[in-house]
Amino acid sequence: MTMTSKERVKAFFNREPVDQAPCFSGMGTVTVQAINKMGIRFAQVHGSAGYLAGSAIASAEMFGFDGIVVPYDMCTVPEALGRGASLYENADGILYPTVPSKWATLDDVDLPEDYRSIFDQGRMPVVDEAIKITKAHEGGKLAVGGWVLGPFTMAGQLIELDVLLKGLRKDKDRVEAFLSKMTDLVIAVAQHYQDLGVDYMNIREMGSGTDLISPRMWKALIKPNLEKVFSALESPKINHICGSTDLIIEMMNDCGADAVSVDQKNHVAESRQKLGPDAMILGNFDPYGTLVQKDAGEVAEVIKKCVDDGVDAVWPGCDIWPDVKRENVEAYVKAVREYGKK
Amino acid sequence: MGKEELREELLKQLHEGVVEFEEDKVREAAQRVLDEGLNAYDAVMNGLAAGMQEVGDLYDQQEYFVPELLMCADALYVGLDILKPHISLEDLGDKPKGQVVIGTVQGDVHDIGKNIIKMMFEVAGFTVHDLGRDVPLEKFVEEQLRTDSEIVALSAMMTTTMMGMEKVIKMIKEKNPNVAIMLGGAPVTSDTATLFGADGYADSAGNAVQEAIKMIGRLREMQAKWTDN
Repeated sequence: MTMTSKERVKAFFNREPVDQAPCFSGMGTVTVQAINKMGIRFAQVHGSAGYLAGSAIASAEMFGFDGIVVPYDMCTVPEALGRGASLYENADGILYPTVPSKWATLDDVDLPEDYRSIFDQGRMPVVDEAIKITKAHEGGKLAVGGWVLGPFTMAGQLIELDVLLKGLRKDKDRVEAFLSKMTDLVIAVAQHYQDLGVDYMNIREMGSGTDLISPRMWKALIKPNLEKVFSALESPKINHICGSTDLIIEMMNDCGADAVSVDQKNHVAESRQKLGPDAMILGNFDPYGTLVQKDAGEVAEVIKKCVDDGVDAVWPGCDIWPDVKRENVEAYVKAVREYGKK
Repeated sequence: MGKEELREELLKQLHEGVVEFEEDKVREAAQRVLDEGLNAYDAVMNGLAAGMQEVGDLYDQQEYFVPELLMCADALYVGLDILKPHISLEDLGDKPKGQVVIGTVQGDVHDIGKNIIKMMFEVAGFTVHDLGRDVPLEKFVEEQLRTDSEIVALSAMMTTTMMGMEKVIKMIKEKNPNVAIMLGGAPVTSDTATLFGADGYADSAGNAVQEAIKMIGRLREMQAKWTDN
């Protein structure tokens, strides 16, 4: 029996048999090949529901991805909260949007009482529409993933990162209160996307690896908020952190998500041992190194290592860099199909 | 207390103040260095910078993480602000001092690593032209030409902005092949740096900080050698 992409991803998360290993991600998988085919530029994609959905669908269909994820940038919520978004419409090449005017201090923070009030602000309606278009595409055959930054990473998109990081030690009570508000914000946005019918929800707490903060701080300040987020969301839900995660992988797995997702810095074979056979681990190849820098002939080995180390599904460690080599992406999808099925 | 004994005591206070991120302790010790007529450059290199080197070790040992590093850097700056105006040209002597243009490339608003590297250059006596973050590529070229700086230091936290570095390097080298170009940031590897034609690099996000601190160590070693000679 041949499954649709959506059926395949759904069965995977339900731990049911699949016809072939799903090839999908909880992060962006848009490619320049798809964007070029549409005759547009990357900078134009972010503000148009049609372009967002179209480029995601075209990338999936061109390479055979089972899932698609929109939006591609991390500024939609900050923008809706009045922090702006730099789209770099005149820059050469590919630049992801950034937040130009974060709050300078905790005193400047100005959040609405009801976070649902931001859903009609900025590009939030564009993303909603893009999700609807992708869900409706060809009778809903593709799995559509939703994602929201985790509370700490969202905080870092809204106030200056050094204020936040130093505040963790110097101004702990106020930072904790701010993170608590971020938790409610993340829940509101993620629930909104679940209401729109996304097939899985990835919470990307990417700025909280131990490259930046200590495991002790992670336990005290990150974990309780992630637990609250995951307890408010429906399954399937994924806890993604990139960067160094070896020291916190057990705590990550204990936050109430159905799966953890890690990048190439995680030693997955050891994580598998720590977490046991029942934990669902997604990851963990370096998308830039594998799909842009390596030769196509080297890609299968990378994917095979992810599987041999013990991932349940092969995920890139981050958004794939859109300017991929076509033959590398083809090799990646082929290798996932060949080696990935458990 | 003899003068050498007092010097040792104040260097220790500066060192500890940085490691324990106690800004008041650093402020008091730095002020006393001046009040007692001790050498400000000695206090920066063998007090503040030495403290930051220990911070680097604590980071390597995963005792300290980025929040602690940032607070240590703040404490160092408190001392540097007091001491730096009193460093004489004689102190710097024949040592290489120069100008550096620094910034994070367009599309990147992460500047913690860049700020630590900037601090390193300032400690070493360089004049730093900080362009900030999210800097359009041609701005690096313009600023290098305007200031005739010997070094251009580029930082990118994200893979997605790293590609801009290659363009800047080409643009600068075309106009002035003698400029030394340093790359730093999470996605930059030595291979990438070579491929792009850069002269130096600092490894990964956390490591960029580490590398910067290690460079302080190397500068101190060099300074000690010059003093011996």
